[in-house]
Amino acid sequence: MTAVDNPAPQQEDSPTYRPSPVQRFLPFAIAAVVPFILGSTTENVNFWWKALITVVVLAVVARMAWVWTPRGELTHREDMRLWRTPSDRSWAAVTTFGLLVLPFILASDFTPPMDFPWATWFAVVNLVLIFAMGAAAFNLLVGYSGQISLAHVAFLALGSIVGGIVGVQWSGGNMWVALPAAALAGAVVGAISGLPALRLKHLYLLLATFGFHFVMMLVWREYLQEYFGFVGIRFKGENSPRIASWLHWLPGIDPDDNGEFIITGQFRWYWVLMPITVLSILFMVNVVRTREGRAFAAVRDRDVSASLLGINVARSKLLAFALSSAVVSMSGVLASFYIGSRGEDSFNVQTVLNYAIIIVVGGFSSIQGAIFGSAFFWFLPEWFKWAREELWIVRDIDFLSDYPSEIDLAIKGFLVVIILMFKPDGLAGLWKDVKGWIGRSLARRGP
Amino acid sequence: MLLAFGNFTADPSVNLQLLIGGLALGAIYAVVALGFVLVYKSTDVLNLAHGEFLMLGAYFALTFLISENLNFFLGVFVLLLVMLVFGLLVHYGIMRRMVGQGFFAIVLITLGIATIIRALLLIFYGPTERARLDLLPQGSFEVGGATVRYVDLIIFGVVAACVLLFFLFFKYTRLGLHMRAVADDIEAAAAMGIDPDKVYAMTWAAAMVMAGVGGLLFGHVTGAIDRSIEAIGLRAFPAAVVGGLTSLGGSIVGGLVVGVIEQFANGHLGTKWREPVAFSVMFVVLLVRPTGLWGRKDVERV
Repeated sequence: MTAVDNPAPQQEDSPTYRPSPVQRFLPFAIAAVVPFILGSTTENVNFWWKALITVVVLAVVARMAWVWTPRGELTHREDMRLWRTPSDRSWAAVTTFGLLVLPFILASDFTPPMDFPWATWFAVVNLVLIFAMGAAAFNLLVGYSGQISLAHVAFLALGSIVGGIVGVQWSGGNMWVALPAAALAGAVVGAISGLPALRLKHLYLLLATFGFHFVMMLVWREYLQEYFGFVGIRFKGENSPRIASWLHWLPGIDPDDNGEFIITGQFRWYWVLMPITVLSILFMVNVVRTREGRAFAAVRDRDVSASLLGINVARSKLLAFALSSAVVSMSGVLASFYIGSRGEDSFNVQTVLNYAIIIVVGGFSSIQGAIFGSAFFWFLPEWFKWAREELWIVRDIDFLSDYPSEIDLAIKGFLVVIILMFKPDGLAGLWKDVKGWIGRSLARRGP
Repeated sequence: MLLAFGNFTADPSVNLQLLIGGLALGAIYAVVALGFVLVYKSTDVLNLAHGEFLMLGAYFALTFLISENLNFFLGVFVLLLVMLVFGLLVHYGIMRRMVGQGFFAIVLITLGIATIIRALLLIFYGPTERARLDLLPQGSFEVGGATVRYVDLIIFGVVAACVLLFFLFFKYTRLGLHMRAVADDIEAAAAMGIDPDKVYAMTWAAAMVMAGVGGLLFGHVTGAIDRSIEAIGLRAFPAAVVGGLTSLGGSIVGGLVVGVIEQFANGHLGTKWREPVAFSVMFVVLLVRPTGLWGRKDVERV
């Protein structure tokens, strides 16, 4: 047997290595600072120079985070870290850099070849952020906790209702109050909607939560008609969220001519949506690692044995519903304010299907999968639109340009079926395979 | 006011009309619920695509009976044959690989099938709505001040005949026995020499044929044939659950009960209460008797 067939585990023979706190912190600090330096030098540096610097910084940051990872005999605390392996830390640093540098890249007036739609991509990225948050919460409930629910669109509607009451009617565009209010309302209503889960499972739970969807739709329509009429709620214009004047001293905020800082345009929205999405996804990833999160998984696998382990099954189920619904409601508020108006037909059965498509394509029961899925869901139509107009083979097929949205829908449907049949863990599983393949081929090459 | 109740009326003829309308609606629900029950009973799959299957049936009925102008019986025969082939296609193409997968994955794959059918129908038939079918007798007669349409009576008769047919089929034929055995315990049935694959294929074919019948019938009572008629699949869920998802006769009773309740909610409270009331009834039934009125009890081993 050669060493190639049976590679020795790295941890055991490598000596214990502890980087200093500065070394651990440094790659993330570089990843956080460099985008802003690059972004502030807009006039005098050529785009391609910036691209080169970006790639170099990416490589440096990844390598630094890789090398400066604790190795060898780990304490329990180190073993339980969120980013434990060199690869995890490396990806975390790259992601940090990527998320911070992305808006500057997208905001630059770069014209890609073949009229690639640069401008619309920023809007798509923002939508991906909102949907990733909602889909990750959905995945936490359905995939990770195993509580089948079709009521998540009801909680998007709940978010819009709370956004309408607190954000528009009471305070005229104060999204910052509406967000925690929606989280609170989502948690309470979510726990109530989770009550059937104490008695029902699988199919019957799915049907019961679907019933909740229809009840919520009734509430939504009644609310709209009572206060807003048929035009729906306007979350833009005078109701746009803004940064209060006592916060204008913050760096990067320079008020418009009328002395207000209104959150409008893709660039400003990105800086609102990105931190909220990243924080809530980190929150959910961390919930999974806690005692409560492990209890969710135990209840999913077998609720009877979970109760024998001393887990309060009822509490665990309701907590899963409450957490997931709170985050979905928050994403509902964000979506309402970002899209700008919500009417009677903003929420329908197709929206439920869209979220199902997102989590299937992204990867069932993995929270990262929600990010992949929503990116795929929003980029696919954009890419097809571009391909239909510009790509030289596809451009000439009339059939494709005659039925654009229908073909997108059909492709999504086929994707769901094919992925569930052949690759049930979706894009997240594919990503894992690719990472494993790269890692193996690197390991085979030897030191 | 959020909970504005409509004005209740005690006028007997109005209530009679609502009752008759509810029974007519319930008959349609029973047709759809029968499709759910057939699939769920033997394959344990909750088929969320049944509304789309029904839409497929209605559009094929348009093609064969109106556009191609076939003789009624020949047209119906061709329609059911095509639906049967589609059912086999669904099983051998897709559902066969999903046997043994998790419950929610299978539900999601039926949603995927639903999406594909909807997209393809939009591509091939376009978004314009078509006039409803008018091949069955269109007249009506009066009973005590309420109007009864012939179509509704025919639908009711067809549903009752189908349930009776399936009941006899399950009880007395060999294939029916196989289906029951597979539904009961797939491994034991396979060990006895029954081919579950064939049984599942037959089940999907039967469900598709039922959807063809349903599409043909529903095409006569819907306002117009367009992409929104798939919603009947979701609206029939309460009917299937109230009757019990494993009971053929239950689908008729459940359909009628839910149809009448919905129609009364519609008449007395307003259209917007239709779905919430139906789903609330389902909710209560689920909490009190999760297997419905006549469903098979699931015994869970620990």
